[in-house]
Amino acid sequence: MITTNNLTKMYGDFTALNNFTLTIGQGAIYCLLGANGAGKTTTINLLLNFISPTSGTASINGLDVVKNPIKTKAFLTYIPENLMLYSSLTAVENLDYFSGIAGKKLTVSSLKGFLEEAGLQTDAFDKRIGAFSKGMRQKVGIAIALAKDTKVLLLDEPTSGLDPKASNEFGLLLQKLKEKGVATLMATHDLFRAKEVATHIGIMKDGTLRQQFVANDISLSKLEKEYLNTMDYKELVL
Amino acid sequence: MFSYNFKYELKLLFRSRWIQLLSLILLLLFGFSTFNGKQKVEKRKSVIAMAHDEVRENDTKMLKLLDSLQRGMEVSASPWTLPTRPMAVGNYYPRVAAMEPQPMAFVSTGQADLFTHFVKPTATANDFAMNFTEMTSPVQLLFGSFDLAFVIVYLLPLLIIAFSYNVLSAEKESGTLRLLAAQPISIPNWVLQKLGLRFFWMAVLVIVALTIVLLIMGIDILAEGKLYLVLLAMVLGYMLFWFVLAFLVNLWIGSSAKNAVAMLGLWVLFVLMVPSVLNQLGNTIYPMPSRTLMINEMRELKAEVTKKQDEILDNYLRDHPEYAINDTTQKRSFWHRYMASQHLIKRELEPVVNTYEEQLKKQQRLVGRLKWVSPALTMQESLNKLAGTSTSDYESFRAQVVTFAETWREHFMPFLYNNQEFSSQDYSNLPKFQLTQQSFSPAVAFWPLLLISLGLLSLGLLLSKKGHQKFNLISS
Repeated sequence: MITTNNLTKMYGDFTALNNFTLTIGQGAIYCLLGANGAGKTTTINLLLNFISPTSGTASINGLDVVKNPIKTKAFLTYIPENLMLYSSLTAVENLDYFSGIAGKKLTVSSLKGFLEEAGLQTDAFDKRIGAFSKGMRQKVGIAIALAKDTKVLLLDEPTSGLDPKASNEFGLLLQKLKEKGVATLMATHDLFRAKEVATHIGIMKDGTLRQQFVANDISLSKLEKEYLNTMDYKELVL
Repeated sequence: MFSYNFKYELKLLFRSRWIQLLSLILLLLFGFSTFNGKQKVEKRKSVIAMAHDEVRENDTKMLKLLDSLQRGMEVSASPWTLPTRPMAVGNYYPRVAAMEPQPMAFVSTGQADLFTHFVKPTATANDFAMNFTEMTSPVQLLFGSFDLAFVIVYLLPLLIIAFSYNVLSAEKESGTLRLLAAQPISIPNWVLQKLGLRFFWMAVLVIVALTIVLLIMGIDILAEGKLYLVLLAMVLGYMLFWFVLAFLVNLWIGSSAKNAVAMLGLWVLFVLMVPSVLNQLGNTIYPMPSRTLMINEMRELKAEVTKKQDEILDNYLRDHPEYAINDTTQKRSFWHRYMASQHLIKRELEPVVNTYEEQLKKQQRLVGRLKWVSPALTMQESLNKLAGTSTSDYESFRAQVVTFAETWREHFMPFLYNNQEFSSQDYSNLPKFQLTQQSFSPAVAFWPLLLISLGLLSLGLLLSKKGHQKFNLISS
């Protein structure tokens, strides 16, 4: 479960995030939409305790992320826009290392099982990551989440740069994790993917959460319209 | 976390070919420097052996001459060189006062390039002007040629810098740091483990490479087991210091470029600047009196003394009535006057020489006290001591030679003033030089280096905990 309460981050006079309050329960996928600089990544950085909040609190599974930085990270998996792994290690070795330092000692067969569950082709298991596409690396990231038995997934524009097939596969993997009860926060520009995978959608602008929807209650075209209105964009008429 | 870091760090180092490259570099550096050091030691040994051979040959000639003279035979030699004359033995048949290389001499040339390893003090030699070469700049003279000590003190830190400067920054620059920082681990502990493992693997490579090289070079490390272990302990202590510096730089600096500049800056500071500043400080606080002036003073004094040698001889005999009483002939030659005047010259010159020596000692004491500021200086000095080529080793040798020269001279005084001839029976009583080696404390460098390193490490860990560093993760 992810909870933020009046979470605020300021850089001098600039407010990157303003009184951000949100709760994402087990099995929920919350997609944060917004233009660049809206505060989506700042929210994720605050949840990861990569930066300290100016005020407000953020917690993972009921534990404050600032007070319990290490304990909270045991519950979560983070997949950035461009997931970088050790290029000279194989997929199995990367998975073994990252799940291992997170405290999960796994056998090679179970590691391969997680990679398979994440949708990575079998012949890529023992290949070095250096030759992997972005989509394949994201799958290893999902395998890390599976191996860690993660409770919270933080995704920062994970589908950006992925081809539609890879993006679709990624969406299916999120659904799998949702069924396992994982609470997911995904920052994205991809309205279509957000509508496809999310249970809830929020639109941010200038560090503030402006609108929230239950994904099933809104159509894609309506979502697009609301998004553009929030951003003060005018529809382009050809 | 440790077992996984242990498992994968070696894999990563192997796959990036660091281990292979480092092994090759270490083997080449240790090999070349040990070869150089060994060559110098061999040369030194052969020069000393030649000097001993020469003395043996001269002695054989002397004994033959003495035998002929004692049989009443005529010999074809100048009368003043005949070994029946005590001053001829004292001057033309001197002993060798040698400083034999110690078992680990190949490690460090130290002062060996600058000082002579054997002297043949004659009965008329001047203690102050014996051929030792002056010692005026202890720090400047401390660093020598391409020997093992040079590799350890100068080059090993550079390899450590190359091996460790970007442990954290490389993760940041390749993008893996964000993923690592999202794991339930402490990044300072992770960096510490990574550097600890790199220290471990580098230590293994250094020990293996050094052992292989020494065995190939024919150095019996089993026979010198204790000294070899001391050498390894000192090297590991010195390596630890540089790895701790790398840990601090990794935590506090940032990008790989900045880390590299910071580490090289520290190298310049500790290896080049501090020793140089200490040297300058020694010269400024305790300036050395001119040696040229000292020698001029000696010459002037000698000239003065020469003018009144009769008076000096009278005074000398008054001070040594045993010679006057035993002397029935009252025959006084040049040597009687000369040797009497030498005693006076020595007494008169003592304050001048003492000022020079005292100032030199003050300089060296100052450097000795401040050497802990630079682990490189501490290490170099300790390696010199291990090799028996340190300033204090040569000072000890010089002092022992001066004492021996005095003994040698004094040995002939009863012969001279009692107008007694030297015979083959007296040969076995000639004084022999026996060098007493300085004792070397193995703890001289290891413990201080270990303490400095652990102190810095504790400080780093304490500050990293209090500093709540975020390692600038959001900018990557």
